[in-house]
Formats: sequence, C-alpha cells, structure tokens
Amino acid sequence: MNTDKQSSTPLETDTPTYSGPVIAATLSALLGMLTLVVTHHISRLTKGLDKLIHSYGYWMPGSTGTGPDGSIGNYSGKETLAVFVWLATWLIFHYLWRKQDFSLRAFVAFFLGALAFLMLGLFHPLIDPVVLFIAGLFGYA
Amino acid sequence: MAHDAIDSQQLTKILIRLQAGGALTLLLMLVGFDLFFPSQYALKAAVHGVSTISALVVGTFMTHRAYFLLRGAKTNYPSLRNWTLASTFLNLLAIISGNWIYMRYRGQDGPRDWILQSVPDFHNILMEFKEFVSLFPFPLMVIASFIVLYYKNTLHIRHDIKQFLGIIIMSAWFFIMLGFVSGLILAKLRFV
Repeated sequence: MNTDKQSSTPLETDTPTYSGPVIAATLSALLGMLTLVVTHHISRLTKGLDKLIHSYGYWMPGSTGTGPDGSIGNYSGKETLAVFVWLATWLIFHYLWRKQDFSLRAFVAFFLGALAFLMLGLFHPLIDPVVLFIAGLFGYA
Repeated sequence: MAHDAIDSQQLTKILIRLQAGGALTLLLMLVGFDLFFPSQYALKAAVHGVSTISALVVGTFMTHRAYFLLRGAKTNYPSLRNWTLASTFLNLLAIISGNWIYMRYRGQDGPRDWILQSVPDFHNILMEFKEFVSLFPFPLMVIASFIVLYYKNTLHIRHDIKQFLGIIIMSAWFFIMLGFVSGLILAKLRFV
C-alpha cells in the first residue's frame, strides 16, 4: 500500500482529496465490528466473562431486568464496547492519516475479505471449534 | 405524419419513483399490520418492522446510485448526500427499535424461550448470527455519509474514492438484506 504523501497538486479546489480519511473511517468501523464478534464469543465462555461484558452496557435503558418485558442483556455491553472501539480508533486513525494517500484499490480486497471474515465469525457451526481451540489455549475451555 | 416519442428520461424517472413508492407502500403493509396483531408488544414490533423495511427500500434504492458511482459517472452530490444521510438514519432507527423489541424476544415466555424449547438451532445459530450482522449496515452507512460530507463535490476528481463509496453502499445493502430475511424468518416462527 502506498503511504506517500499526495504529491499531485490539488485539482480545481483546495478541499481535501487524500484517501487517508476513508481508510481511517473504514478500518475503525471494521474494528468496531470485530469487537462485536470477539465480545460475543468471550461472553459465551463463562458466567463471569458474560457478566463483565454485560456490565459495560448497564448505562443503556433496558439493559437489565426480568419478566415478560425482558431486557437487552449482555448485547448492550457488546454494543457499547463496539461503539467505543469504533469511535476511539476513528479519532486516532483520522488524526494520523488525514493527509496521507493510500491505494484504495489494494484496500478494497482487504475490506471485502474482512467483512466476509466477520460474517463467518458469527456463524457458530463454523467458528465455535476455532473459538474453543483458542479459549483452550487460555484455559477457558 | 410525425410520431412524437415520449421523453424517455422523464418517463424513466416517473416509473422509477412509482415502482419505489409502490414497493415501499406494499412492503410497509407487511409490517404495518403488526399493529393490529393480538400482542401487547405489537407497537414495538411494528416500529421495528417499519424502520427495517424503510432501511431496506432506501438501501436498495441506494444500490442504484452505487452502480453509477462504480462506473465513475458524474453524480448529483446534494441528492446523494441526502439519500445517504436518510439511509444512515433509518439504519440507526432499525438498531434502536431492534434493541427495544429484542427485550421482549428475551423476556419470560417470549419467542426465545419458545424457540429454545421447540427448535433451538433457530436461536443458537440464526438469531445469534442475525443480531450482529444486522448491526453492520449502520457503521457502513456512517462511512458512506462521512465520505460524501467530507469530500463533497471533490468526489468527482477522485474516481477511486467514488468507486469505494459504491462498494460500501453495496456491502451495506447485503447486510441489510441478510438481517432482514433472517429477522423475518424468526418473526414468522414466533411473533412477540
């Protein structure tokens, strides 16, 4: 991927034409989605981890409760952590790459591959053996 | 004898709008009637249904804009900006209303309890897949909105960014569709 600063002179206008901000926005969103996948699998390993993930979402109305009306449960914690990672990394990446120009052609393949990976990472019959193997390495399975 | 042809551009515009309007109206009936279902959670179901159908229709419309972006055609920037923002908002609404109805899904004697007892794979595999992939369109549309707002009219001098925007919109549509279909399967299986 080309990380050189854009050398060509701006065309017709002084507004930004670097691709860095696009990469920053996209990569941070992918990291947010990855957080959803990771926290989902972590919360399924033990009751303690489930409670920990859930606790990040306690601020959300309806995150806890029982009875017929139910609650959002640990989903609220997963959403909270995902949004936090997304926005925090976006700020950092944008600041770092706002005046950088990258090859979007190369990034497209990575982007589509990452989306496919994240999607399959949520399909239990496929991913559970992998998750259990990794969890086993840390003594959680 | 002269045979005046119909203004094809005008005709196409009218037909596209009629098709989109007709599809939206009929599809909204699919979920709008949830309001009259015999359940105390009918309102929650209808709000979620209306927001997801609207997100799907607008998302599908956006894919037609995406084809032009992929081809590098000149785009009407203010229109693209407005539709992208509308799509982003509808996907956010779908998530918020999804959280709202999800509470009842998990509630005592709710659909989850019934599904786990009757056909557990529909919860353990389909629902656990759906509840996350349904979140994907929102950040993707936020990226699209960011691109149109940040680059504004300069988009037309960066063909690669315009193409990437088209790919983002197509990806968002795929996940809207995926979430919508799996949600519909679950709602058909057990209504709230």
